[in-house]
Amino acid sequence: MTATPETVLVERCRQGDESAFRELVDQYKGLVLALIARSVSNRARAEELAQEAFLKVHKGLPYFRGESRLSTWIYRIVINVIAGERPELATRSLDEEPARGGRIEPAADDRAFGDLVMKDRLQKAIERLPLPYQVLINGHYLKGLRYEELAEALNLPMGTVKTHLHRAKRQLRHLLETEYR
Amino acid sequence: MTCDALDALIEAVADGSQPIDPAIASHLAGCERCTAQLAAARAIDGLLSMREVPVPPPAFTPAVMARVGQARWRTERAIDLGFNLAMAAGLLIILAGGAGLAWSLGFLTVGIDSDAMWAFIGSDVTARVLSEVQTLVMSAALLTTALVLWWWVETAGD
Repeated sequence: MTATPETVLVERCRQGDESAFRELVDQYKGLVLALIARSVSNRARAEELAQEAFLKVHKGLPYFRGESRLSTWIYRIVINVIAGERPELATRSLDEEPARGGRIEPAADDRAFGDLVMKDRLQKAIERLPLPYQVLINGHYLKGLRYEELAEALNLPMGTVKTHLHRAKRQLRHLLETEYR
Repeated sequence: MTCDALDALIEAVADGSQPIDPAIASHLAGCERCTAQLAAARAIDGLLSMREVPVPPPAFTPAVMARVGQARWRTERAIDLGFNLAMAAGLLIILAGGAGLAWSLGFLTVGIDSDAMWAFIGSDVTARVLSEVQTLVMSAALLTTALVLWWWVETAGD
């Protein structure tokens, strides 16, 4: 097997090279934090969870067999961390429309902050989607993230990623139409 | 085309992955509801692509490295504790074995007749020592394990 920069980095980390692990954190921290912060709106908590994800990466590196790409493996850890934070979303069926609970009011005043309110509504609607749909939507619009790798981390067949993404957006639209109007 | 059929395609039409064919176009031309939904889907797509990307603070990597260091320290402390316990258990067994051996050989008996004692030891010492071999081997194995553990921790930390 040819040694790629990724495999070299993993090997250095395994040998206990702290600077290698620092490089790994620097390389992935943006995407990891973005993915988590888009599912967990409390910024401080999101940072804490991102740190926890990297701790799990560090702990798991000796067992990483390189069968998938490092990024896919890291995204899988991130998804598990988010699932631990929002277990009710992790177990929900993908076909099930999010529960129509009480209408959730936006945090800001409609007329004064049109854009902010819309973003706020969007965020709240996304947070009610089943976890795989949340992660797909959050990851799809992140530059630098290959969402095929995200789909692999979510165990979604590659051929169905687009379909799942469209279903996720449809659920999001229905939520915004009915509950966040 | 029905409204329900188009509803399933709206997101694909909105992001351009589904071309607007004549059936879709004619339905949209006559259906205000679906036209509004397509506009909503496009607006959502636009908002999603404009979402802010949170930037990790400069202290993020040092914080992760500090937590990794703490986790490593905890692991090493647990190994140290295991090592110390194994050492203590090994020493205790050796002491107990030694005491047992001394007792069985009569060294711990006060006021013994030394001539008789040495005669007794000379005749029976091998059998007595052999009966304690199991205890001594076990304590030696425990001590060896503890030393190997210590060596492993020291070399792994380098």
